[in-house]
Amino acid sequence: MDTVVNDFVQVLRNHQLRVSPAESIDALRALEHTGLRERGVVKDTLRATLIKNQEDAGTFDRLFDLYFSMRPAVQKPSARLKLAHDHDHGPPPARLELGEEAGGEAPEDEGHSHDTDESTEMRRFFEEDRMRPANDIHGESERMRLSMFSQELVLNRKPGALESALQRLTYHMRLRRSRNMFNPGGLVPDAGGEELPLDVSAVDLQDFVDHLHELEVDEALIAELEAQSENILRGLPDLIKQMQEREKLLEKDAKDDAAFRRRALRKMLRFSAAEQREMEASIRRIARNIQGAKTRRLKRDRIGRISVPHTLRQNVRYDGVPFEPVLRRRRENKPRVTLLCDVSLSTRNLARFWLHLVYQMQSLFSKVRTFVFVADVAEVTQVFEEHDMNRAVEEIFSGRILDADVNSDFGKAAERFKNEHLPTINHRTTIVILGDGRNNGKPPNVEALEEITRHARRTVWITPEPRWGWSLGSCDMPLYKPLCDRVEVVRDVDGLAHVAEELVRSRA
Amino acid sequence: MFQSIEEVGEKLGEQSYVSDRRLATVVFLATRLGKPVLVEGPAGVGKTELAKSLAGALELDLIRLQCYEGLDEAKALYEWEYSKQLLYTQVLREKIGETLAPAESLREAAEVLRGQEDVFFSENFLVERPILQAIQADEPTVLLIDEIDRADEEFEAFLLEFLSDYQVSIPEIGTVRAARPPVVILTSNRTRELSEALKRRCLHLQIGYPSSEVELEIVRLKAPGISGALSEELVETIQDLRTLDLRKAPSIGETLDWAQSLVVLNAPKLSKDLIESTISVIAKYDRDAQRMLDHLGVNARERKDLGQMEPTGEKPEEAMYEMHRSVHKHVH
Ligand SMILES: Nc1ncnc2c1ncn2[C@@H]1O[C@H](COP(=O)(O)OP(=O)(O)O)[C@@H](O)[C@H]1O
Ligand SMILES: [Mg+2]
Repeated sequence: MDTVVNDFVQVLRNHQLRVSPAESIDALRALEHTGLRERGVVKDTLRATLIKNQEDAGTFDRLFDLYFSMRPAVQKPSARLKLAHDHDHGPPPARLELGEEAGGEAPEDEGHSHDTDESTEMRRFFEEDRMRPANDIHGESERMRLSMFSQELVLNRKPGALESALQRLTYHMRLRRSRNMFNPGGLVPDAGGEELPLDVSAVDLQDFVDHLHELEVDEALIAELEAQSENILRGLPDLIKQMQEREKLLEKDAKDDAAFRRRALRKMLRFSAAEQREMEASIRRIARNIQGAKTRRLKRDRIGRISVPHTLRQNVRYDGVPFEPVLRRRRENKPRVTLLCDVSLSTRNLARFWLHLVYQMQSLFSKVRTFVFVADVAEVTQVFEEHDMNRAVEEIFSGRILDADVNSDFGKAAERFKNEHLPTINHRTTIVILGDGRNNGKPPNVEALEEITRHARRTVWITPEPRWGWSLGSCDMPLYKPLCDRVEVVRDVDGLAHVAEELVRSRA
Repeated sequence: MFQSIEEVGEKLGEQSYVSDRRLATVVFLATRLGKPVLVEGPAGVGKTELAKSLAGALELDLIRLQCYEGLDEAKALYEWEYSKQLLYTQVLREKIGETLAPAESLREAAEVLRGQEDVFFSENFLVERPILQAIQADEPTVLLIDEIDRADEEFEAFLLEFLSDYQVSIPEIGTVRAARPPVVILTSNRTRELSEALKRRCLHLQIGYPSSEVELEIVRLKAPGISGALSEELVETIQDLRTLDLRKAPSIGETLDWAQSLVVLNAPKLSKDLIESTISVIAKYDRDAQRMLDHLGVNARERKDLGQMEPTGEKPEEAMYEMHRSVHKHVH
């Protein structure tokens, strides 16, 4: 859902409507309360949270209708779930009608007529291209993540059920990711011996799983998926052949896709002046809380450490006149924090906030060292010290510090950190890792993290992903969790602020 | 706390407030997210009434802060009564002597005094104004910050901290944070644009003139003496008049006033005569009255007796005139 709302916000921005990051977060929070059942309610909710000028209401209405375009009521609403149309090879195409009975209008089904092949592609079960709005409202891109939301509008919210369905599905399919994410043949069936030259990159598969994962699907669809998992398996070879053909056709597009993603990412990380002000305001709020905690802590410290009582006691014989002041050496209690921040695509929603928070923390604590990682790891403490926030973020994503366009690989990053930066931590250090623990199938390298945590006083892991999501896709959080003193699921700025404050209160 | 959007509509209905789903959605979200709502729209469309009805619906106290030019913290937040504090300290002086008598040394005396510090500097001398009242209240309240567009921009800036955290900093006491955050409704007639910073902190609700159905329902609820046929005729006329290019279009307040007048006059239907003699109830300006009558095909005979002047904005008496009008009209 986050992706869709963020994307829609981007569309609004492209049309000169100013929406701050805080407002998109409000929108997400609000939708959690209203649900996605009723399109009208969703519209009102987005409008109340995102649009604050009456003049913009018309544009908003138009864009909302376009973006989440639905079939006119006269037409039969349907969202298809189709499999290989090759009847010889497998069972008849599975077809699932979603419509009024699912609790809402169905998504637009445009493009269906001129691109029947698409419906055979696995990704297209939930993909958006079939549901593209009439005009290209992005004005720049073919690729839009819009049907997810349309889908969500008609589907219930049943994360638990979805989880089990997906588990069953992945179990059935026994897919395992190869080491090299970008090679063809990235998918290998675990059992069965026969290697499938499946020409779909694991990145795409990950996208698919992520999309599924974001989606909240109702029981009927889950049952359908489960029932079909066998069919999906049987249909695989055919699917593969078609995908290969398609991939060939799309080769050029695929490159564009990567470029588009990079562009989108960069856009996401660029702040307008207004956004920056807003962001700074939220961060200042966090900082205030942190500093509040800090002063409280210092006061308490003073009681513990001040020399006055000792001096007085010591000087009773001089009638309280402090001839011999007792100086107690002040124990060093400045928090030492080492931050390890994932700046990859999968965490991009929070990466911005993280970097801002990190930036702020660096100015609040004297002993903070900050590292960013994707597959590589690099220290950016200096970068933050030398530049303003925007410049620093730009620098981090410039490619000069590390390659931020690859998939995150915490295992590798941890290894690098262990080898190169271990001396930066000691028994007083609190390590804070900000990341989603998704290694995209690469080795989790639990040993490296273990080694690192052994040297530190405490390890806190902050992930944006709720626990139920950990078992999906390639999330290694369950492996990392036991090594951490705390794992916090943080999905918004307030949550981060809370954790930050806790950190300070417990003297980091 | 409301359980659903539908419940918001129902509960407001019980308070004789007619709402559509958009309004109910925004109100629902405000209570769920704990965010203030900024309600914008022309005068007399029920912005203030919404806050009142909401308080009623939630069975909470309503605290109202009416904004005006020059409104400052002292009137909105708190005032410190220094003179009272001084007096208090003087009265206490003797008592202090007693308290300190057993102290052996100066140091001890200082300790004792320190223990009593809050007597000298306590909230006893604080006069709470609406915002602080809302923060300090034991129960959550509905805080109406009415017509914020009338206040100065500095005041808007001052509100920002409160609106994001429901807390304020008072130099003598420190930061005071609401234990039970109020439901905050801000209204604006849009006489000026509010700052982006303020808007970003609020959910936004635009209220316009109501549809015929809604307006009819409001008339039915708020002017019960009027017959069904007449109220339909009246609402239809009003809706029609709103399409004209008027300096001040008749709002719901005017509709209700008009309905009330017709009840008082015991009118069976809306005749041309009746319209002409009561047009001043719904027209604020002479020019508007004329346009309305022309539009409704009422022959303008002698209209001097309507008692309407066209303000030119040049003479100071006009301000008085406006004030006078707004006093004996509905207070919006
Ligand atoms: N939705 C509504 N339901 C019931 N009464 C309404 C509604 N909207 C407006 N009114 C009535 O119209 C009059 C003007 O409303 P008010 O809240 O003072 O307007 P505003 O604050 O927008 O200027 C009040 O008497 C109010 O009772
Ligand atoms: Mg009002």
